[in-house]
Amino acid sequence: MEINSRTENDVTIVAVSGSIDALTSEQMLAAFMKEIESGAAHLVADLSGVEYTSSAGLRCLLTVQKEMRQKGGDFRLAGVQPNVLKILKLSGFTRLIKMYDSVAEAAASFSGE
Amino acid sequence: MSAKKVALVIGSGSVKCAAALGLMKVFEREKINVDMVVGCSGGSLYAATIALGWSTQKAIDETLRLWTRDVTAARNWGAYLQLFGLRRFDERFGLVNDKLIRRRLSEAFGNTNLGNTQIPLFITATDFYSGEQEVMHGSQYSLQDALRASISIPYIFAPHKIGERYFVDGYLSDPLPVGVAIREGADVIIAIGFESPYQTRVSSILRYAFEISSITSNNLLQSNYAFHNLAHHSEIIPIMPEFEHRIHLFDTDKIPYVIDAGERATEEQLTYIRKLLES
Repeated sequence: MEINSRTENDVTIVAVSGSIDALTSEQMLAAFMKEIESGAAHLVADLSGVEYTSSAGLRCLLTVQKEMRQKGGDFRLAGVQPNVLKILKLSGFTRLIKMYDSVAEAAASFSGE
Repeated sequence: MSAKKVALVIGSGSVKCAAALGLMKVFEREKINVDMVVGCSGGSLYAATIALGWSTQKAIDETLRLWTRDVTAARNWGAYLQLFGLRRFDERFGLVNDKLIRRRLSEAFGNTNLGNTQIPLFITATDFYSGEQEVMHGSQYSLQDALRASISIPYIFAPHKIGERYFVDGYLSDPLPVGVAIREGADVIIAIGFESPYQTRVSSILRYAFEISSITSNNLLQSNYAFHNLAHHSEIIPIMPEFEHRIHLFDTDKIPYVIDAGERATEEQLTYIRKLLES
């Protein structure tokens, strides 16, 4: 798994690539928690490079969302690929987390909030 | 190969559930053992063949013989009398005469009970009067009774009576009963589940009823799957075969295609499954 973070106009973007599963989800969670602890208020997960997520990945995404909300911020997904989208839909996560086609759209969604 | 307890859960989905046979082809080749099998509705038929240790070919042959269009051809005229108020209405309502499906189940599975399968087998149905999921396991349940109960498609087959209780289709309590595997202590859960297809056109009261049923069961599938994902301590690996063509309830001629799709979907997850079992 590869994880790269950057901040653009007050929005922290964490780009993930590879599979999110029991073997990699802790690494991903640590990367997101680092950004949350650094004070990120607007967080976007760029999942355009993720081909698969298992239950461990879903739990990780939900933890990030809960942490962000507790701290008064918000968390959004961008570029979700069809295979991952199918799993997010099956598990009802599309009803819990806001999703956008691109990072630009996800970042723009924070403006005015 | 692994100390992790592996469960295979096959949800409702009629003929699409044959994808589980494709998964087993891959698992057999890779020598990945399954420690328990859970089946619901159409998935219970394939769960049974896997738990009994049948070869993929025997499972295909038997399920092709078992599940043919003519199992719903004979009408249950008593139900029509019930519909028009000419007979007292009760819970034994089902538009199809189930004699043929019961005979087929008997021919295929004989007197086997749920206590003497090669791999522990759990079949789910739904208690008609309480709505609760019933997990059938152990020698007190005959396999053919459990299967008949699990496939009691509402309106089509009457609820099945076992003892003093009536059971309807397992999908009504959980279309993908992953919770059974969690309760039984599984670590890695391989889940094959399918959403119910929506109608493209509603031209009869039965199609209307099916549409309502699909809406309800798909929402139930999502809610339960979300809950189980969050509740489980280890991994739930969804295997979701892609079908380019719509698969209908009795499209048994498409079983080889469905099995191939199951095999491909499993191959996609194989590297990860192996790593997980070896970790």
